[in-house]
Amino acid sequence: MSAIIVAILVVPLATSLVCLKAAARVSRMLSLTSSGATFALALALVTSRQPTAAVAGWLRVDALSVVFLVAVTFLYVATTVFAVGYVRPGASPAALRYSRRFFAGLNLFAWSMTMATIVNGLALLWVAVEVTTIVSALLVAIDDTDGAAEAAWKYVLIASMGLGIALLATVVMYYAGSTVLGGSYELSYPRLLGAAAHFPHQIVRLSFGLAVLGYGTKMGLVPVHTWLPDAHSEAPTPVSAMLSGSLLTVSFYAILRFYQVTIRAIGPNFPRELLLVFGLASLALAALYLASQRDLKRLLAYSSVEHMGILAIGMSFSAPIAIVGVLLHVLAHAAAKATAFFGAGSVIRKFGTKDIGRIEGGVGALPWSGPMLLLAILALSAMPPFGIFRSEFLIVEGGLSGGGSALPAVLVVFVTLAFGGLSWFASQTMLTPTPDGVVRGEANAWMPASMVIGLVALVVLGVHPPPQLSGLLQRAAAELGAHR
Amino acid sequence: MAAIGASPSTLTDAAEVVALLVLLSEFAMLRSSLSRSQVRLYAFQSLCVAVLAGFVAATRHIGALYALMGLSFVLKVIIVPAIIFRLLRDVRVDVTAGHRLGVASMVMLAIALSVFGIVVVGRLPIHSRSLPILALAIATAVILVAFLLVIVRNDVVSQAVGFFSLENGVSVASLVLAAGLPLIVEVAFLFDLLVAVVVFGVLMRVHHGRARTLSTRGLERLRG
Amino acid sequence: MAGTELAPAEIQVLQDLTIVVFAPLVSGAITHLGARLQGRRGPRILQPYYDLAKLFRKETLVPEGASWVFLAGPVLAFACYLTVPLLIPVLTAYPLPLGYMGDILGGGFILALAGFAVGLAAVESGGPYAQLGSSRAMTFGSLVEPSFLFITFTVALLTATDLPYFEAAKVRSSFGQAIYPAHVLATVAFFLIVLSDTGRIPVESHASTLEFGMIDEARTLEHSGVPFALLKWGSAMKQLILYVILINVFAAPWGLAGSRQVGSVLLAIPIFIGKALAVGAIFAVIDNSFSKLRLFKITEFMAAAFLLAVLAVLVLYLGGR
Repeated sequence: MSAIIVAILVVPLATSLVCLKAAARVSRMLSLTSSGATFALALALVTSRQPTAAVAGWLRVDALSVVFLVAVTFLYVATTVFAVGYVRPGASPAALRYSRRFFAGLNLFAWSMTMATIVNGLALLWVAVEVTTIVSALLVAIDDTDGAAEAAWKYVLIASMGLGIALLATVVMYYAGSTVLGGSYELSYPRLLGAAAHFPHQIVRLSFGLAVLGYGTKMGLVPVHTWLPDAHSEAPTPVSAMLSGSLLTVSFYAILRFYQVTIRAIGPNFPRELLLVFGLASLALAALYLASQRDLKRLLAYSSVEHMGILAIGMSFSAPIAIVGVLLHVLAHAAAKATAFFGAGSVIRKFGTKDIGRIEGGVGALPWSGPMLLLAILALSAMPPFGIFRSEFLIVEGGLSGGGSALPAVLVVFVTLAFGGLSWFASQTMLTPTPDGVVRGEANAWMPASMVIGLVALVVLGVHPPPQLSGLLQRAAAELGAHR
Repeated sequence: MAAIGASPSTLTDAAEVVALLVLLSEFAMLRSSLSRSQVRLYAFQSLCVAVLAGFVAATRHIGALYALMGLSFVLKVIIVPAIIFRLLRDVRVDVTAGHRLGVASMVMLAIALSVFGIVVVGRLPIHSRSLPILALAIATAVILVAFLLVIVRNDVVSQAVGFFSLENGVSVASLVLAAGLPLIVEVAFLFDLLVAVVVFGVLMRVHHGRARTLSTRGLERLRG
Repeated sequence: MAGTELAPAEIQVLQDLTIVVFAPLVSGAITHLGARLQGRRGPRILQPYYDLAKLFRKETLVPEGASWVFLAGPVLAFACYLTVPLLIPVLTAYPLPLGYMGDILGGGFILALAGFAVGLAAVESGGPYAQLGSSRAMTFGSLVEPSFLFITFTVALLTATDLPYFEAAKVRSSFGQAIYPAHVLATVAFFLIVLSDTGRIPVESHASTLEFGMIDEARTLEHSGVPFALLKWGSAMKQLILYVILINVFAAPWGLAGSRQVGSVLLAIPIFIGKALAVGAIFAVIDNSFSKLRLFKITEFMAAAFLLAVLAVLVLYLGGR
């Protein structure tokens, strides 16, 4: 088992380094194999019932890590498939350089996110998340446009400031631990969780608040989400998909680790209230902003903010079933958002613009990507039989059974609002007749293929999640204190 | 350091004065109008932080902190300013692009933020064996003023220096709260900072390449 | 002589006399030193005495339309400057009877009253530059007040009183106290306040005749003869009084007489003058090293002084000492 973890550590990194120098075809094939292998390795960890450690305890995988690892590696596979079709091979030196940088960056980005889920301890977690920021900032800027430069600068500045706060949160948590564990320890999860019951309360509260604020910046919680729409819309589409699908979830994972320690120290009330406040703000703001968007990828970015809000609200419900719903939502949202971005990428390629007002007749112009994009949008709006329906259903049920129907009702209202915005977009762009000047047909087979992968995963999650996966989700929810 | 046993209060007082210098250099960065002097102030601030690390190493007898002090000195006092100076030389810009509020208003706001930060920390039940609690309060004030710097200033170098000084503030806080953090973790933090600096430098050049200026006033395209 | 003790009343009179007699000397010495630093020979150190003597012989002119306030202002100011030395530790380390009459705030109020009288007289004169200087002085003076108050709070937090004598005693109690952070901050903040109140670079250029830059200096433009002499003498006295507070309360309160012996009290006089000349030398060096701030940037200067004063109070709030 620990060999698997080491392999997950090594494979994407090695691929990234090779892609820096390799020819275009080689780097594409290598990325595909690497991503597929990493995903397979992650799936192999799904059935392990005990936490596994590796590399002298620097790496550690428990059920919670595996859930997020699966999400990240799945997105790695899907995005690589899409990217092979999206990044057009060209003979010019500029195209070659772009392709090399792009694939090296893509693999490195995926590596850093998998690292974040498998490292052991809050300090190393911070280091990994910081690496993701740095790599993704370079990837956002890789398209040489004014918008990309602006978005990349805002992103790296705001995200780094947020991570500075998160570092402060880590240090404060270290101090809380040092009152029990002594002057020098390494912030690993088992030690923290073992001693958390004796941590001083006010310090832990401060640490959790700072962690939500700091990591929430990278997660896209309102009001520190301001970099998100810009970065997600200006980055190249595969990067946007990974940003929305896995980077936000990795930041959520970091918050969850702090949550784990905090509920053992001071009980669940304060963390839940704090997450509720941020979640509601994110959901409300995103739902309202969705309606006024003109840029296709910005629309999807705000949808990501909305779903992050749903995740935070879900964590604030006290029923265990809500936490299972939240973890399922992590997986389902990754698949759905990625598929939506892939479709958007195809549409933007076909029509040459991101402006919703100028795109018409998507279904006709793109016989595969068009309808699949439509399905992905419906999936994002929690339409059955897709996974998000099941996860949001679980969350709402958890909210209702936990007592009080006000909050689930508010949740449903805002989700409906968001659905309104998304469906307006869908009808405007997809279901209208295709104008005459547009060439019908897909650009290549890779891009729709990635969408098929995503939709299949969504259907599996929604209709019948495999029992191993359900078991994993239950174990992860238990680790998050679901039985309290 | 034979004076440790004899008069610990003098050493603590000296440490407090150095910590105050960290905060005062943050204020000076806030009002400085030349990019170069901002970077020099950052170098001075990092020097003060390194001196504080030396204090903690001496009073708590943590040998690893000496190594950390040396590393952070090399990184933050020499390498980071060198990178930014190189950028400034390449783009040939000297005067910062200005700020959204007047200087006196900025200083007043910064004073208010510092007071808030210091009073809040004063209420926390924290007892540190390495540095006086004043250092933590000052670190909080430095972080808040660094946020103000980034928000109010209109050019990329000021914003970058603001972020680096925020990291300085967090370093001082970690000296107070987490002096015993294993060396390997601290080295990881520093290495991370170095890479972040490189990326910041790259993106600053990208920005300058596209906008022909270091000002961020034109970054208004993406809204809503 | 060795056993003779002075009565407290006599020591108080001696304090006042010290300030009155030696104020022009300090002023002249600073001007002379400033000229030397610029490479000139400069006026005699005793020149201000000659100037005062000359002014006492000149006739007094009053502008048309000015009332008795114009003549009363300088006299009132001089009276205030004679009162303040009774409250502060000029020569002695122990409080004198009248010293309890007012604390630091009281002393500050009396100084402000003097400034108010001079400013009012300037406005009475009707001359445009005098009124300009007067209004500027009022504005910038009010900006200094918050810093001054916070410094008073610092003293109060440190000694649980705000009598200057006790602050001085605390600073003398150990060497470590001198570098105590709150103390250092309060001292630097007060140094900046003295700089602005005595009209020195970078707030105002002391000896220039450029009216557009004048703040305090412009207020005396319309006076002549004896009132003018009183104003000049008064401003030199104010400078020395502020030096007294800076030196004997904050920075270097050593060398003050510990007993009522004649010898120790008389010895305290040259010690104090020596310290005042040293501080004056610092101001002269600053005069020649920096340039005058533009008027609207003076608010930044005040903000810096305020920042230091606020930090001093916060440090004490946290340190608990």
